[in-house]
Amino acid sequence: MTRVWSETLYDAYGQHFNTDKILFESKTEHQHLLIFQNARFGRVMALDGVVQTTERDEFIYHEMLAHVPILAHGNARRVLIVGGGDGGMLREVCRHRSVESVTQVEIDQAVIDMALRYLPQHSAGAYDDPRAHIVIGDGIDFVRQTDLRFDVIISDSTDPVGPGEVLFSDSFYANAKRCLNPGGVLVTQNGVAFMQLDEARETAAKLSRLFQDWHFYSAAVPTYVGGVMAFAWASDNPELRRQPLTMIEQRFAAAAIKTRYYNPAIHQAAFALPQYLLDALAEETGK
Amino acid sequence: MTTFLGDEEIRRLAAEHGTPLLVLDCETVRRQVRLLRAALPKVDFYYAVKALPHPAVLRTMQQQGVGFDLASSGEIEQVRRFYVNPRNTIHTHPIKKRNDIRDSLRFGCTTFVVDNRDELSKFVEFRHRVGLLLRVSFPNPDATVDLSRKFGCAPAETLDLLRVARQLGLHVKGLSFHVGSQSRTASMHAHAVHECARIIREYNRDGDTPLSTLDIGGGFPVDYCGTMPDIDAFCAPIREALTSLGGDIHVIAEPGRYLVAPAAISITSVMGKARRCDRPWYYLDDGVYGAYSGRIFDHANYPIRSLRPGPAVSSVLAGPTCDSIDIVHDDIALPALEIGDLVIGEMMGAYTISTSTEFNSLERCRVVVLHEDLTSDSVAHIA
Repeated sequence: MTRVWSETLYDAYGQHFNTDKILFESKTEHQHLLIFQNARFGRVMALDGVVQTTERDEFIYHEMLAHVPILAHGNARRVLIVGGGDGGMLREVCRHRSVESVTQVEIDQAVIDMALRYLPQHSAGAYDDPRAHIVIGDGIDFVRQTDLRFDVIISDSTDPVGPGEVLFSDSFYANAKRCLNPGGVLVTQNGVAFMQLDEARETAAKLSRLFQDWHFYSAAVPTYVGGVMAFAWASDNPELRRQPLTMIEQRFAAAAIKTRYYNPAIHQAAFALPQYLLDALAEETGK
Repeated sequence: MTTFLGDEEIRRLAAEHGTPLLVLDCETVRRQVRLLRAALPKVDFYYAVKALPHPAVLRTMQQQGVGFDLASSGEIEQVRRFYVNPRNTIHTHPIKKRNDIRDSLRFGCTTFVVDNRDELSKFVEFRHRVGLLLRVSFPNPDATVDLSRKFGCAPAETLDLLRVARQLGLHVKGLSFHVGSQSRTASMHAHAVHECARIIREYNRDGDTPLSTLDIGGGFPVDYCGTMPDIDAFCAPIREALTSLGGDIHVIAEPGRYLVAPAAISITSVMGKARRCDRPWYYLDDGVYGAYSGRIFDHANYPIRSLRPGPAVSSVLAGPTCDSIDIVHDDIALPALEIGDLVIGEMMGAYTISTSTEFNSLERCRVVVLHEDLTSDSVAHIA
């Protein structure tokens, strides 16, 4: 009989995966890690009972969290990734030849090791890129202590119930801002807004106190169930998310990157948000 | 006579492993599961891990398809090792720290018990992830261990709390109660079921998020001293009361004691003796700070016997620590014992070694497991 793995993100709703093979399972110091094979989604990685990434749909998440800020910025040379141990974000960032240095701060070495072994297509060699600098540590400590400055900061974290909790704190956002070059941008994964509206509200309240411009953009990732995933956007340069389509098209063409989800029209449209989310954000921030 | 072990076998195990020893029989656990299932055929069981969190017991429960009632982060770690499906667990401690809730959610247990407003408010930040059971209190003077004093809201305030929860955006999916342990009759269980059925009907009349679960707790008695009805007779009023619930209410229970108490015996040795106030005193190598801790915490009166024949006289059984409270039994009829004789405590699976200590730096008794099913695939779920 096929074994079934159930995601336990919600009590009253959830998704099931048939598991064809368990590839890896461990309780590390920081979290419970599971990687298994599913016929529809390929290899699936879950942390603490929650799907983090799958081979088949990861491109949507990683392309949108990497290319939107980098191409909106237009001159991103130094990029910081917080989390992202599966390597997918590093892969997408490294595809920009204009990026000179990528620092990735991951709390759990085991996640990187297991992803290299069991999800090699996620990093696709990016960990060998000479521009990549890997730091094993807590992202909050890194942004508090580092002297480095970045044009783009990408928070590719877990759900807030878990070691990623601090990456949703005032302190993290304030210190991330401190680490941004003038005109830089911070983007963060912020959950599925329909299911987790509180997370978007709370992030909005925090970002609105720190940044001149903040917003969310979205993409539908099949295994982040319950609607579109929201990505938070924060910058002191309000122009970054209002770039004309032609400029994004030019930059995308110049980058010469082949994508499967991202394109300039999607880039622009992603900032259009459903009304329930806009209403909740307005209620929270008075914006 | 021990139900799962003959006297010769007891002597052999004591000689092989030394004393003090706890002998745990998994076949008895399986039998208790079968008996309780037969007595409450439409009820899903969540084993109260606190009663005896031994790995062999947890594995056996898992193999039998019994879920787990967890009350602490430590208990979560105990069951996690056995690839328990978190969907088959409930967190039943009514009072929790924030980190207890987070630990439980990270494990994947999303059902929690609450009984007051402060506790409800702790769940607001997790409201999109959890389903709650509201614990209602039904004081039970007939129970040896009355659990309705420390926990549970009064039936009269239940509807108010349900409304508060709804205003906070919390999903309360049902009610729970625990009328206490070792009652002679299930009249209080039946009364509580009827009361909860009434509350559920009233709330569901105008609710668009109806209550769908009733947790009838535990308290299913075992027979320590020959005065308890058998489980089928005991449960008859509960079965009858459950018919007053609508068919779409999912009924669950949290048995602990009933499933494990008969599954273990304690084997101790007489390590010293004295004559005080004209009565024989025997000093055992385990006592109320060890496996007999349930004499204090659980108010349990275990059947105790020696393996030696002979005319019995009133005797005192004392434990090995220096404390004067360490008396296992202060008036028990025993034959004249010699140093080295074995003394057997029966029905010692529940709340015995789970509450024992290492006072006096005495080692805890060892545990020998019998009839564990190591052949079947214990990985029933990928955790």
